Amino acid sequence: MRNLKRNRIYKVTITLLLFLCAGSFCYSLEINGPGKPMYMKQCSSCHGDKGEGVNGEYEEALFGDWSLSKLTRYVIKSMPDDDPDLCVGDDAAQVAKYIFNAFYSPQARLRNSPPRIELSHLTNRQFRESVSDLFRQPASDEPAPESGLSASYYNSKGMNKKDSLKKRRIDHKIDFDFGSGSPLEGVKAEQFSIAWEGSLRAESTGFYGLRLTTPNGARLYLNVNIKEGDKNYRDDASKESNPPLIDAWVSSGNKSRTENARVFLQGGREYPIRIDYFKYKESTGSIRFEWLPPNGVWSVPTGDQLSTRKGEQLILAKTSFPPDDRSLGYERGSDISKEWLSAVTRASLDVAEQVDSILGYISGVKSKEDPQKSEKLISVAMRVLERAYRRPLTEQEKEQSIGLIFADSESPEVAVKRVVLLAIKSPHFLYPQLPGGKTPSYQVASRMALGLWDSIPDDALIGAASDGKLSNQDYIRSEAERMLEDTRARSKVIDFFYHWLDLDLERDLMKNDKVYPDFDEYKISDLRRSMNMFIEDVVWSKKSDYRDLLLSSHIYLNQGLAGVYGKSVEGDGMKRIDFEKTERSGLLTHPYLLSHFSYSYNSSPVHRGVFLTRHILGRTLKPPPQAVSFENQNLDPSLSMREKITHVTKDSNCMACHEIINSLGFSLENYDGIGRWRDTENNKRVDSFTQFETRAGDLVNLRGSRSLAQFIANDSNAQKNFVQNLFEYMMKQPIQAYGENTVDDLHTHFVKSNFSCKELIVEILCLASTKGIKQEES
Amino acid sequence: MNELSRRAFLKDLGFSASALSFLYGLPSLQAQGDSSPKKRLIIMFSPNGTLPDQFWPDASGEDFILKSIMEPLAPHKDSLLTLKGVHNKIGGNGDDHMKGISCLLTARKLHRGNIQGGGHTPAGWASGISIDQEIANFLQSRKETKTRFGSLEFGVAVPNRADPWTRMSYAGSNKPIAPIDDPHQMLQKMYGQMKDRESLVSILDDVAADLKSVSLKLTKEDKNMLEEHMSLVRQIEKGLVEAEKESSTVHPQPELDPNIELVNDNTPKISRMQIDLLVNGLANDMMRVATLQFMRSVGQARMRWLGVNDGHHSLSHKPDKDKSAQDKLLKINKWFAGELGYLCKRLKETPEPGGEGNMFDNTTIMWVNELGKGNNHTLENIPFTLLGGGLGFKMGRSLHLPGVNHNRLLMALAHGFGHHIKEFGEHKLSEGGPLDLA
Repeated sequence: MRNLKRNRIYKVTITLLLFLCAGSFCYSLEINGPGKPMYMKQCSSCHGDKGEGVNGEYEEALFGDWSLSKLTRYVIKSMPDDDPDLCVGDDAAQVAKYIFNAFYSPQARLRNSPPRIELSHLTNRQFRESVSDLFRQPASDEPAPESGLSASYYNSKGMNKKDSLKKRRIDHKIDFDFGSGSPLEGVKAEQFSIAWEGSLRAESTGFYGLRLTTPNGARLYLNVNIKEGDKNYRDDASKESNPPLIDAWVSSGNKSRTENARVFLQGGREYPIRIDYFKYKESTGSIRFEWLPPNGVWSVPTGDQLSTRKGEQLILAKTSFPPDDRSLGYERGSDISKEWLSAVTRASLDVAEQVDSILGYISGVKSKEDPQKSEKLISVAMRVLERAYRRPLTEQEKEQSIGLIFADSESPEVAVKRVVLLAIKSPHFLYPQLPGGKTPSYQVASRMALGLWDSIPDDALIGAASDGKLSNQDYIRSEAERMLEDTRARSKVIDFFYHWLDLDLERDLMKNDKVYPDFDEYKISDLRRSMNMFIEDVVWSKKSDYRDLLLSSHIYLNQGLAGVYGKSVEGDGMKRIDFEKTERSGLLTHPYLLSHFSYSYNSSPVHRGVFLTRHILGRTLKPPPQAVSFENQNLDPSLSMREKITHVTKDSNCMACHEIINSLGFSLENYDGIGRWRDTENNKRVDSFTQFETRAGDLVNLRGSRSLAQFIANDSNAQKNFVQNLFEYMMKQPIQAYGENTVDDLHTHFVKSNFSCKELIVEILCLASTKGIKQEES
Repeated sequence: MNELSRRAFLKDLGFSASALSFLYGLPSLQAQGDSSPKKRLIIMFSPNGTLPDQFWPDASGEDFILKSIMEPLAPHKDSLLTLKGVHNKIGGNGDDHMKGISCLLTARKLHRGNIQGGGHTPAGWASGISIDQEIANFLQSRKETKTRFGSLEFGVAVPNRADPWTRMSYAGSNKPIAPIDDPHQMLQKMYGQMKDRESLVSILDDVAADLKSVSLKLTKEDKNMLEEHMSLVRQIEKGLVEAEKESSTVHPQPELDPNIELVNDNTPKISRMQIDLLVNGLANDMMRVATLQFMRSVGQARMRWLGVNDGHHSLSHKPDKDKSAQDKLLKINKWFAGELGYLCKRLKETPEPGGEGNMFDNTTIMWVNELGKGNNHTLENIPFTLLGGGLGFKMGRSLHLPGVNHNRLLMALAHGFGHHIKEFGEHKLSEGGPLDLA
């Protein structure tokens, strides 16, 4: 195996050398050709000697991905700006060639400033995920959970005491109106009590509203360790029990009361929940549990949002951080600012406080007089610090960081808090790329966990590292496959899709209610769920086929959505509905996405076109030379949307980019502002036929959305763009830093695996986890 | 400086209130006080009624003899005012214990609810604000009397349950306020920021050392990033030390036994810890109003430290002729008086910050109970007792009043603070206005 690996490196090196030689030969010809003096004479005063731009003149740097022929045409037609006739014909071709090869093309840029793997701190998402996992307890063996909460129904007797258990069952939501009656046969209507228990699953990260509405008594516990035999099982809470998040235990004149709470939850995780309810002689009984997810609406959690799993309390880094740098198209921790460091500090204090509150649970110290308290707390502190450092501690660290702190603190509890502060503020934790005493195996483990989970390695991965197994590619692959099954991977992957599809920035999706009266915040929230289900459906299927993401013609709809989108659905919940292939083609025609890229009263071919150009085809677009706002009210009202856009962008300056934008955007004109299918618009038949010029300069006929989706699914540039986006989202580093051919190599692999997304993720991990930041020889 | 001595240095330095606010934009531990004399209120609760014969002085006026229960308060007799003849006439939902404690400071009815007592209709929370919160809100509304917390609610051995038997303070209708009965939790609330600060400083050296060691082999660009990080860490440290120099001293926080368990038998220790914290909070002007709630109404504390093994509530039901029970109840009530005595003593020992005399001179303590007498559950002749000074009441007296509603006593407290409310609690029961105690 080792031989094989060495062989491979050898081959790569030779290829690279050959390429470099050939490259430098062509390079010198291209950038020293006759175009150069002409550029220096006619262009550099506005564009700079190296195309870097000139303040007060043309400030944007000259780079992009037009083909040489398109660039040439543009120079002939429009340059120099003040006298386009000055540079035409062969001169223009020579200048364009010089610009293209010296700094304009992606290859030139790569050559001029070769990207490197840069040191960076944890991104906000990585920080939150890692902090939670520092304190994660080993998973307990539980029967496979079902969706819903486990419910226990009791008869009560005098003084609000639970008496006899009448029934256990699973309830799929907590929204009951018992009227003046009994909740089920055998339970007395006058007084009874119910306990619901399980987990609540949060999809996105942020602050959630929670509320209980009842005319009776109820308590809600969330994200606390609820144990079998806990006194919470009685009507009266006792000293050892946790304080409820919402305490609505005492009723007030049989009037319905709503009690609220607001909590921060991390997406993709489950939180233990328990609701206790009782009715005592009030004339009516009812209870409803609702939540308000970030950017969502008040609704009753149901389906997969509830599970019977008995989870454990999660430590949450809820401090708000300054946003991560996104200038390269993915979030990365490249800024060091006072705001960031002070957010880290606040978070570390907050987390230390939370840890203190569950110290007994995670250390096994049941009493403050436990004779082994110190030892147990030292072992908790060691575990936390080891996890934060992502490797075993050295003897010196055990002495300095653990020993000294314990010796110095007024109590072992305070010492644990200090170790937690140290763990979170330490450069070992905040800068995971630092070798910082990690052997290559631990470095691989650290990169894998970040790449797939945005978190720290779990015990199994650390175990593999300590055995030195992670120097073996096969082993890395099998670990990656194991890790892919974890919910943290699912959460990161779904977040990636929202990032790739440009849906992770908050936009107002509310529409004009005269034009779209059926479209409200509830529909928006349901559509987002539908989108999630579609993505998970495809990605986590056996095939995991990227092309299905673009071509599959089904959508998940519930009753309300079905009404809007011309289908019918019976009963509660989301159902998978198949559409005609001409009508729906995967992600790009999902109503949630189409509604994002629309005006409040109609489609927006420009927004759709820009989205497709940048995010799906991965091409660069310069900001428009002059800002033109689309003023619908000033345009001829008899025109179709397509005609209006064509009219507004007809100027040749505009058309340099709008040629591409419009041709892509118009192909989706069969969808209105909320993504409903339409054959006519403004009393005219929709024209969705367009011609699109590819990067290579070829013209492609697009006949509406299906043909657009087919083109994208099979276009190797679009596929490579997906590969690059996924890579950079996972690793937070530029893909070229891993070698010039990395995109092509991964793409080849992607094609061979029949475009399996899961396989691509694994391959990215295998490739990227063995390479780290550059170190100087000492 | 080596690791150890540096740590010790920073530890000895201590961390002041203003250092914290400077560095983290956190509110200062104290608010800025002014020079006019401060007025303060403490309300202390003990449950299950008293033994009237061992409590009320026989004589009225300035010449009276303290009965057995009150003996621990003898050193403070000149500043003591017993108020016999004040009744809780609120009525309505709930049993006498519920009404006893939940109407005690709110002086208004309980909502109809789902908590069933021994007899009467089931009840819910009180239907309005309690007097301690009313006064605290008044003080907080004025710049010159505003403090960081306004009020703090201390508990001793209060069971972890929320119902009308366990709450006396209310922020408003259906809004009970839970007393904090864990001294460490209270310390965290009062001084958590400073402790955090101390902990942070203790690890800064480790962080700095790590930053240095991990930078060794990095390329120049990557090194720059860590150097930036390092300089920010240094800034924090420097800011801390400088702020320390400028800051004024405050009453140091009390040292607490870190290993205290919140169990029945530790009650005497917890009580003293809470009283020390309470006095400390007043001394540092974190609040002007405090409550101190022992157990709860119907509480079953077993005061083994007095040689009493029976539950308090059960004992309180025994008939007057049960000599053994009476002896035990005497011990129990005398113990509460002793804790009150300790509170008075601690206030007397503390000079008035920025003023003359001691804190006791400017603090009025009201000792309350939910019942007049345990075995007949009467809500008449509640053993209201005032101690201390500052509100303009004439102390050193035993008053025999002709049966007045306790609404009027609560109004007198508010008026003592310059908060001239026309009524408090039930409208009809406020008739006659504030009790004249001058």
